[in-house]
Amino acid sequence: MWKKKLYASTPLSTILLSTRILAKIHSPKHAPLLNPLLQISASCSPSPPPFVREIEVQFFPTSGGIFFGGPRFHKENFNLFVKKKNCFCSVSQSAEKLECWNCDAIADSPMPFLVCQACRSVQPVDHSIDYFQILGVERKYNIEVDKLEGKYKDWQKKLHPDLVHSKSQREREYAAEQSARVIDAYRTLTDPLSRAIYILKLENVVVDEEERITEPELLAEIMELREAVEEAESAQALNQIKAQIQGKMQYWCNSFEDALLNKNYEDAIASIQRMTYYKRANEEIIKKL
Amino acid sequence: MMRQASKMILGQGLPSLPTRTRAVVVGAGKPRMYHERVVDHYSNPRNVGSFDKKDPNVGTGLVGAPACGDVMKLQIRVDDESGKIVDACFKTFGCGSAIASSSVVTEWVKGKQMEEVLSIKNTEIAKHLSLPPVKLHCSMLAEDAIKAAVKDYETKRAKSNSIEEAAPVKKAADA
Repeated sequence: MWKKKLYASTPLSTILLSTRILAKIHSPKHAPLLNPLLQISASCSPSPPPFVREIEVQFFPTSGGIFFGGPRFHKENFNLFVKKKNCFCSVSQSAEKLECWNCDAIADSPMPFLVCQACRSVQPVDHSIDYFQILGVERKYNIEVDKLEGKYKDWQKKLHPDLVHSKSQREREYAAEQSARVIDAYRTLTDPLSRAIYILKLENVVVDEEERITEPELLAEIMELREAVEEAESAQALNQIKAQIQGKMQYWCNSFEDALLNKNYEDAIASIQRMTYYKRANEEIIKKL
Repeated sequence: MMRQASKMILGQGLPSLPTRTRAVVVGAGKPRMYHERVVDHYSNPRNVGSFDKKDPNVGTGLVGAPACGDVMKLQIRVDDESGKIVDACFKTFGCGSAIASSSVVTEWVKGKQMEEVLSIKNTEIAKHLSLPPVKLHCSMLAEDAIKAAVKDYETKRAKSNSIEEAAPVKKAADA
């Protein structure tokens, strides 16, 4: 898992107190991060001697987070702990850096940290990364399913267990878990019903496994549907019923999406229930065909 | 025909059963199997069918478990005078445990008084069929179904009684 590391090296208290830091920023997009540094130096109490030193600062944004955490302020001076090559601030708990367990490289891309960019070793599973992040899609119900396959295969090219036969036991375990998780993500998000259930789960709404209902209309309809499937004589009749079910599934998928957007979780669960019933009926038809 | 239909109904949910099927649970020492009573209810279905819903002597209980997509219909035929259940039938679309639970209930209620069957508990059904914990909700469904059937019958009876009471009043008013 990621490690929070504080590298204590030469305190720069005397350096920074009344000075500007001339920092070489390696990429332009990191420029905004320079501002906090200037703010900090400006808020420090002045004290001799003025001292300007050029230091190389490398900024490493974490996936989705800002690298630069708040440094600790002491009464008279403030300490910025600097390592020779990498600049780490004494971080507050909110800024967490993800590091490779193998080579200690920092995760420097916006992609979820499943594989290290530098040494290509597979990282342990981080359960805070949800399936939508893994497959690089927006966290909503109506996603483009076609996009999922490409992303899924990309990940498997990097972390499939077959690629790590010669590596350590530890890495092989990581590969097995990560790969399984990516497969799970792909399967869950491709199927509309499981996607719906997963989204609700992310919103902390759990569909009760043991709930029983006595809605006469719904149940009577499902009963008739299942009986029709049983009694259907020809493939044609079955396909007709199948088409009807597809229509109903589409209707309830849309209904789920609406309910979700309105945060109407009761309706969302009702939609899921109906989708489950139609899905079962569909499975029966497929068995029969 | 009915047998074929019932076979088809019961044909879902259970793996093919010419020989006893073993489902091996990873991590458990013992293989998990359907209890022989469950298998029996599947291979020798009894009381599968339908009564006429509109028949005043028939109570229909229709329940469902949406999480697994199960539906269960349980019907009882009651003798008006004695309040005894003279016949029962069921139709269940779901797993083998759900089918067996409803089948067991139809067997148990025949010949009993309506008030008596209300005390059938899902724990008894589960024990009889040796249901594993993950299938306990199937027995709950069967308990719900019989209660719903009794309730339906009583509602029907109350309605028809109130109509009977209103009719003689009307006749008296007309006369």
